[in-house]
This record gives sequence, structure tokens and C-alpha cells, in this order.
Amino acid sequence: MTEGKTVAWLLLLPTLLFLAAFIGYPLVSAFTLAFSGETSALDNFKSLFQDRMFWRALKYTLLLAGVIVPIQLVLAIAFALLVNTRFKGYSFLLYVISIPLALSDVTAALMSYTMFAPMGYINKILMNLGITKAPIYFFGFMFRNREFWVIALTEIWRATPLVFVIILAGLQSINREYLEAADIFGFTRMQKLFKIILPLLKPSIMSALLIRTLFAFQIFGVVWLLAGRDIPVLAGETYYQYIHLNNPKMASVYGVVIAVITLVISYFYLFSLQSKHLEGGR
Amino acid sequence: MKKFLVIVFILLTAMSFAKVFFASTQMTPSEERAFLLSKLSEFTKKTGIDVELLNLGYADILARVEAEQKTGKVKLGLIADLQGGLYLLASKGYLMDLSKFKFPDRTFLLEKYAYADGKKIFVPWLQATYVMVVNKEAFKYLPKGLTEDDVKYGTEKWTYDALLEWVENIMKKTGRYPLGFPMAPGGLWHRFLHGYIYPSFTGAQVIKFDSVKALEMWEYLKKLMKYVHPASSTWDKMDEPLMRGEVLIAWDHTARIKQAIVSTPDKFCVVPVPRGPMGRGYIIVLVGLAVPKNAPNMDQIEKLIDYLTTPEVQVAILKNVGFFPIVKEAAGAIPEGALKVLAEGVLNQSATKDGIVSFIPNLGPKGGEFTGTYREAFRRIVMEGEDPVKVVKELGEKIRKMFKETGSALPEPDVSLY
Repeated sequence: MTEGKTVAWLLLLPTLLFLAAFIGYPLVSAFTLAFSGETSALDNFKSLFQDRMFWRALKYTLLLAGVIVPIQLVLAIAFALLVNTRFKGYSFLLYVISIPLALSDVTAALMSYTMFAPMGYINKILMNLGITKAPIYFFGFMFRNREFWVIALTEIWRATPLVFVIILAGLQSINREYLEAADIFGFTRMQKLFKIILPLLKPSIMSALLIRTLFAFQIFGVVWLLAGRDIPVLAGETYYQYIHLNNPKMASVYGVVIAVITLVISYFYLFSLQSKHLEGGR
Repeated sequence: MKKFLVIVFILLTAMSFAKVFFASTQMTPSEERAFLLSKLSEFTKKTGIDVELLNLGYADILARVEAEQKTGKVKLGLIADLQGGLYLLASKGYLMDLSKFKFPDRTFLLEKYAYADGKKIFVPWLQATYVMVVNKEAFKYLPKGLTEDDVKYGTEKWTYDALLEWVENIMKKTGRYPLGFPMAPGGLWHRFLHGYIYPSFTGAQVIKFDSVKALEMWEYLKKLMKYVHPASSTWDKMDEPLMRGEVLIAWDHTARIKQAIVSTPDKFCVVPVPRGPMGRGYIIVLVGLAVPKNAPNMDQIEKLIDYLTTPEVQVAILKNVGFFPIVKEAAGAIPEGALKVLAEGVLNQSATKDGIVSFIPNLGPKGGEFTGTYREAFRRIVMEGEDPVKVVKELGEKIRKMFKETGSALPEPDVSLY
């Protein structure tokens, strides 16, 4: 038995060392930096909370997550329900929906830019059709609202497939007997959806929401490329503090704040959205 | 004979293993680095001296040199950095006096800036500046009293007020935003603020940050911003917006507008920046080659410096990267075309009689905070409409504190005002 345990630990050791070196050490260093102020441990946090850009970044991060995640969830459920009917040609739709999964956020941002730029596809089409005489500006400090929606649209297009794939897997694991029984009892489609499918889909929805929300709080590439600091976000400010202002302490503080927010959200998802049904809950 | 051959063999082998570690804060973008590596490999083929190129950030190079000097284990043989960074290294006693390095077949420009405390702390290598680029189409909309030659040669009529009139004209007649600046976080907008418009209006970069003239400057910028393309806040560099025709007049580093000139040299004109009430503030970016104290392989280092400052390599750097030669003999080797267009603009700027030369200050690890402060002033005053008096007072204190804490010298033109 002891020998078995030793072998088990030895097999785990490389992974543990890797985690300690590349996750544990940076994590501890980041916390140490964040709490190393000149006069007290909270100096850096005081500076952060006094900085207007932090509150703006927090606002936009919450706004983006609040707008993008629900839309993605609704779209993903709708697509999953459609694909799950296995109509003729459903595999083609599945592949088309999944294409953005292969794209990085940088690629997605650049594609968006070519569409929405003053000389981009959309403006060219509108001007050639005579609908507009001058380009419509979607980017720039004077058009923050439009920038926001372009970013939201780009993220929705890019990341919905991830949610869709998780929801579809959950949908396909629902026992068909429930739905057959519902048919026998004369349930309408809406009743089946709200009384059977969605409750049984709760564990998948929770997983998808958890993953998607955590990523939404780390949103960076699309925002940075399309809007720079016109739309500040927490991860973008972390990058700006470290790379442009050469301030690793403030960058670490931002990192700690992002970590705390994502921990709180994970707790909320794990403990309040738990499914109580046999299929998915405790 | 056998002994002789053995000695020659040993020397050749030793030479082939001789390595120079070359740390550079310049040519860090991947295409520029690839170009420099290709030049260094040509050097290795010619001389048998291997060169390892390390691209380091401004703060990293200071940390690395400091660490090597303090431990006595000096590996770096050659450093390429901005003159401000080299002054900082020299002030800490980390650099060798290079007076003994002689290159009689060439004349170095701006060599007077290579000295500190009577010692020659670097060999000038490259220079760059930031210029305005004008799409020739814009000349159709020049305001009354301003001619194309005024703009091209930087006469006293080419002022910031004239620029404002000009862009107002363009917008009225075309309905387009005519002016662009690289205002994205990765752009060099902060250089315009501290090295161009601040000295042009106040005569200094730093010491007049919160002066009355500075408030006039901020008022001017608010007016100018009405004609600046809104997407400027998302642009890191101006070559693509110029090539796409999104703006007709742009300001940026020569390396970052080079592509536009190279793609269509007949379409664009590189011109000096306008002048303000105090003169025509502009930055000269001077890159020098310095040698840390006690660096190994001194003969190899001298050969590398010699190679990097030959007119041929200087013109190749201009062609591929956009940094300008520092060696007078290279001027005759610049071919006609886009490079000549660039060179003319740069030379016309340097030749203006009312030029106020600014150097980028080196505040070591606080360098980012320095540039961030100017950007913050711009954001708060111009974009958010905060009271300029309150902002410049608060941020002026912050900048003065940075210089005190780091012990860094004031840059030109401020230091000449004292």
C-alpha cells in the first residue's frame, strides 16, 4: 500500500512541480507585490481605488460581461435546440457555428475592424449603395458607445460557440424518456422547454456560465485592439500598468482584484445555481 | 612551421568562439529585429565574430547592466540605447570611456551629445525624429497666407495656428477628419505632448508644465482635437491610416510612417512640424553604442561598432527600419525615392532656425510613469474637460517628484534654461 502511495505521489510530482513553478509562484509573487506598499500593505489598493480609470475599467468590464454573457447563453441554447432536432443539414450548421472556436481574439478583432472601419466593408457597401455619403465612424474616443457595441458583437460572435458546445452536450445527455412522457401527457413545446429541458440542462448551463463569465472578466484582446483605452477594462489596465507604465505593483493589484471578482462569481454560480434534480444535483 | 600552424589554428578557433553579447533597446519589433539579425550574421560571416542580440526594455537594460557591474560578472559587450539611458548608465559609472575608439574614415553627427563629464560615453549610431506627413491632396486646402513651401521648409508662417486653420478648411470643404495622431496606448502620442507641443508653447518639456503658457497650449489642443480623426485613439502608428487615406495630415515617428512613403512616395510629403509661440519643438532620438566597464572581447566590440557605423549599414538601416544615419558620409549613399523623401523632411526640420531640440528624458523605471502623466493630462483636460489649472498643478508636482526621486538630469531644452 505504502509503495502504491509512493508511486502515486511520484507520478503526480511532475504536475505538482509544474503547477507550483508556473502557477503557484507567480500567484504568490503577484499577491506579495500587490500588498507591498511604501508605508502600509494597503497603499497600492488605496491608490487603485482613488484612480478614476479603475472605476471606469470596472464599470466597462461589468457592463460587457452583463451584456455579452446573457445574449450568448440565449443564442447558445437556441442554436443547441435547433441542432438537436437533427434536421437535414444540421451537421453543416454545427460546423458553421463552431468556426469561431478556431479563431483567436486578435483574429476576431481584426476581422471586426475590417468590417467596421471607416473604409471597411460595411461603410463601403453603404456608400456604394448611396445609403450614406460619408463613412459612419464606429471607432474612436468620440464614439465610445458604438465601440462598446462592436466589441460586444465581436465577443458574442467569437465566444458563443464555446457556450453552445457545452449546452449541446448537456442537451444530448437528457434522457429522451422524459420528453416522450411529456408528449404523452400533452405538453406543449414551451412547457417541455421550461418544465423539463431547461431544469435538466441546469448543470450544463452552470458550467457554461461559469466558464464564460470567468473569461468575460478577463476580456482583453478584442477590447485593446478595437478600442484601446477608450473602453478601459480590468485586464487591459493590468497590461497597461505593467507594460506601458512599468508598474508591476499596480498591475498585480489589478490582477488580485480580477481574481477576487471571479472567485465571488464562481461562488455565486456554484452555490446558487446548483441543480436539485437527480440528473444533475446532489 | 608545425608550431606556427598550430598557433594559427588555435587563434582561428578562439576567434570563431569569440562572442559579443549585444543588448539593444531599439529594433524590437519583429521585422526590425529580423533585419538587425541579418546584418549581424553578415558581420559574423566577414569576421568570424559571433554576436548574440538581446532585445531588452529600457528598464531591463539598466537592471541588467547594474547587476553585472555589481557582481563583477560582465557578459554584455555592447549596448544600444537612447542617449538618455546611456547618460543614466554613465552617471552610475557603468560605461567605458570610448575616446580611444577612432574611426578616421567617417564624420559623426551630433557627437557633442556623446560626452558626459568630459568622457565619451557612446559612439553615435542612429538618429530618428518625429515628423509630419502630408498627403499632397491636402495642399489644395491651404489657408490664405500659407504656401506649400512654407510647410515644406518650416518657415515662420508654418505655425500651430496655421495648422488649425488648414485642418478647419479641409474639414469644411471635404467633410472628413483631416488630422491623425497615434494616440493608442502603443502609439507615441506622449512624445508629441512632451517633446513637441510643450516646448513649442512653453520653451520647455518639464519645468514649465504648469505655467500660464502651458494653459494656452491646452486650450489650443482642445480646439485642434475637433479636427483629429476619432479613430486616432485606436491607432498605434500612422502608416496604415495614411495609406488608407483616412487622414491627410499625420504626425509620427519616422519609422512608423516609413511604410506609407515607401508604398507611394509621390503621394506624400514629409515636412517639419509647425512652430509655436516659443519656437519649433522637436525631439531628436539619438541612439548610441556604449560599452559597459570591464566588458570582455574589446577588439571584437570595436570591430562591431566599426561595422554598424559604416555608411552602407547606416543606409541599410534607413531602408529597412527608418532610423537615419549619424554618419555624414552616408548622406551621399541615400538612393532616390521614398528614402530621399523621408530624409528631406528630416533634414528640413533640423535646418529650421527656430528649432528647439528636445531629448527624451531617462527616468529609468519611472519612464513609463513620466509619459503616462502627459497622457493623463491630455485625457483629463482635453477629453474629459477637467479644469486645466487643477490638472497641471497636480501633475506638475508629480513630474517634479519623479525627477527628484530618480535623480535624473533634466532633458534638453529644460537643462539649457537653467
